[in-house]
Amino acid sequence: MAALSSLEAPPWLGAEGLTRCRRALGGKLVRETWKYSPLPKVTDALIQTDVHQDPPVEALPPEAALHRFDELDAPPQFGIDLNRYPLAGIAAARAGTGWLIKVERTPSHPLRLAAPSLGVSAPVLLQVAPGCRVDIEQEAAEAASEGGLGAQVLVLSLGPDSEATCATAELASSVDRWSLLQVHLQRNAALTLNHQCTVGNFQRQDLNVALAGEGARLSSVGAALIQEGGRLDQQVVIEHASRGTVSRIKQHNLAAGRSRCTFNGRIHIHPGAAGADADLSNRNLALDSSAEVNTKPELEIYNDDVRCAHGATVGQLDAEVLFYLLSRGLGPQQAQRLLSLGFLRDGLAGPFAERAATAFAAHFMSA
Amino acid sequence: MSLLEVHDLHASVNGEPILRNLSLRVETGEIHAIMGPNGSGKSTLANVLAGRPGYEVTAGQVSFNGAGLTGLEPEARAQAGLFLAFQYPVEIPGLSNMEFLKAAWDSHRAAQGAQPESAVSFMKRARALAKSLELNPEFLKRGVNEGFSGGEKKRNEILQLLLLEPKLAVLDETDSGLDIDALQTVAAGINRFCSADTGVLLITHYQRLLNHIVPDRVHVLSEGRIVASGDRHLAEKLEAEGYAWLSD
Ligand SMILES: Nc1ncnc2c1ncn2[C@@H]1O[C@H](COP(=O)(O)OP(=O)(O)OP(=O)(O)O)[C@@H](O)[C@H]1O
Ligand SMILES: [Mg+2]
Repeated sequence: MAALSSLEAPPWLGAEGLTRCRRALGGKLVRETWKYSPLPKVTDALIQTDVHQDPPVEALPPEAALHRFDELDAPPQFGIDLNRYPLAGIAAARAGTGWLIKVERTPSHPLRLAAPSLGVSAPVLLQVAPGCRVDIEQEAAEAASEGGLGAQVLVLSLGPDSEATCATAELASSVDRWSLLQVHLQRNAALTLNHQCTVGNFQRQDLNVALAGEGARLSSVGAALIQEGGRLDQQVVIEHASRGTVSRIKQHNLAAGRSRCTFNGRIHIHPGAAGADADLSNRNLALDSSAEVNTKPELEIYNDDVRCAHGATVGQLDAEVLFYLLSRGLGPQQAQRLLSLGFLRDGLAGPFAERAATAFAAHFMSA
Repeated sequence: MSLLEVHDLHASVNGEPILRNLSLRVETGEIHAIMGPNGSGKSTLANVLAGRPGYEVTAGQVSFNGAGLTGLEPEARAQAGLFLAFQYPVEIPGLSNMEFLKAAWDSHRAAQGAQPESAVSFMKRARALAKSLELNPEFLKRGVNEGFSGGEKKRNEILQLLLLEPKLAVLDETDSGLDIDALQTVAAGINRFCSADTGVLLITHYQRLLNHIVPDRVHVLSEGRIVASGDRHLAEKLEAEGYAWLSD
């Protein structure tokens, strides 16, 4: 049986980096951010599970180039805070290699990233050249079996004035998943994120966005349906590091049945981020009284000249709205179904929105 | 048999007595206007009729089309042909107007033992009605009342009234917040609904709506009871003199 101590560090991580990850696993920050999720279990699974070293794209557009990390002259810079995300270092060590995708010109069609349902995927670093625009799509494959862990690290690095959209869908999940999306935006770069998922088992989603350059913008819209027995843990960290940076986040999570749903949204506005504008809204709907919802807004603001709105709500269906539907002749069950679906749909956008709406509807039809 | 018969009704909202000793009879083909100062119980009456949770009948009877109403769930009342146009229609982002309307209509059909209308035929009807109410048919694709202006919400209520073909329409201040043109459009919609088989309970503060929709009876509600009833001239008198003379 493999052990944490027997892992070997690849050059871009270094032995020292790996040691730091091992230490961070027991540290206060990680304990705090993994309060609602089984870190030892995920770490063990990460060390035991298979590794994918296959290229992460099937049809690479001619405007992009793909390199395996081992072939590069200099080790690539991930820019991941290993004290906060030590699992990223461990996943990288397990994978042994990684992939660099360089987008040098604007591709004419979306870049489709592979998302194997099981095993540790080699980390992917995607660099977008200044002024380019790229659409990234990633749809998790349906798992052939139940159980096991899928793990993934994706790093997006957006050059000045570049623009990216990144849409992910995990709509048939029957395995556990852990993923980290780390984004670094330079001056006037813009990112649109759309993430939709159904959660049947355990899912831990880490998102870290650094609005590093002046005028960098993030817009994220997401919806999750947590099914009976499912556990979703979303940890979001947004860093406003420069002047005039903007972030908009809307996440709608619906806990059906006995399930657990955690959303931790942290907005950090640095001293130099005058004129920063942050808006984070997380709404949660608990259909079953036994569902557990944790949502925690965290604001750290070191500049007075900012606009910052942070809203988190947990609730049942609105009685007024429910009565409106009943008064039109709809039965209580159908009314609940339509309102639940409406709540989730309100968190859908991007290329997978239709498919997600269909998957969500199927859930309520069979429920 | 009257379409609606309210006899000696007493009702409480969240345990607070609001309606007292209220009696009213609406026959098919009739339009009754209900007027009265703010807080007099007009919306309470409308909500009691529609079966809103928290609105409790503590004494008296209400029958609709010859059958008792008070024991029925709100959806059963709607399926039996009672429609309430809300004073403050709610917004439901994520649920499209069209999907909502079709589901409501399907449930009406199912309650009558009829097959659902085809989506194509229903959409055609909905679009045509929207146009007749000067509501852009694109609104049918938007979330229910989502981002609608006050006037658009009221027109959407009338759209539902015409689509669902109830027997009794209880219209709670459907004229409030409408501009002059919208008032005419909405009034035309309501007149279109009126027939020898239907009845209307029209809650309003203003005579101006009654210039377009001529009521058979006008009732004045004050402190939860009907304090005066008369023909259309009562509304004109209220417009000219206010409510003060009623308490003299
Ligand atoms: N949920 C409630 N809980 C307690 N009291 C209520 C509730 N809803 C209404 N009331 C009270 O019942 C009385 C009647 O209210 P209602 O809304 O029926 O008046 P209305 O005649 O429709 O007034 P308006 O012209 O302002 O619409 C008021 O005193 C109001 O405060
Ligand atoms: Mg009222």
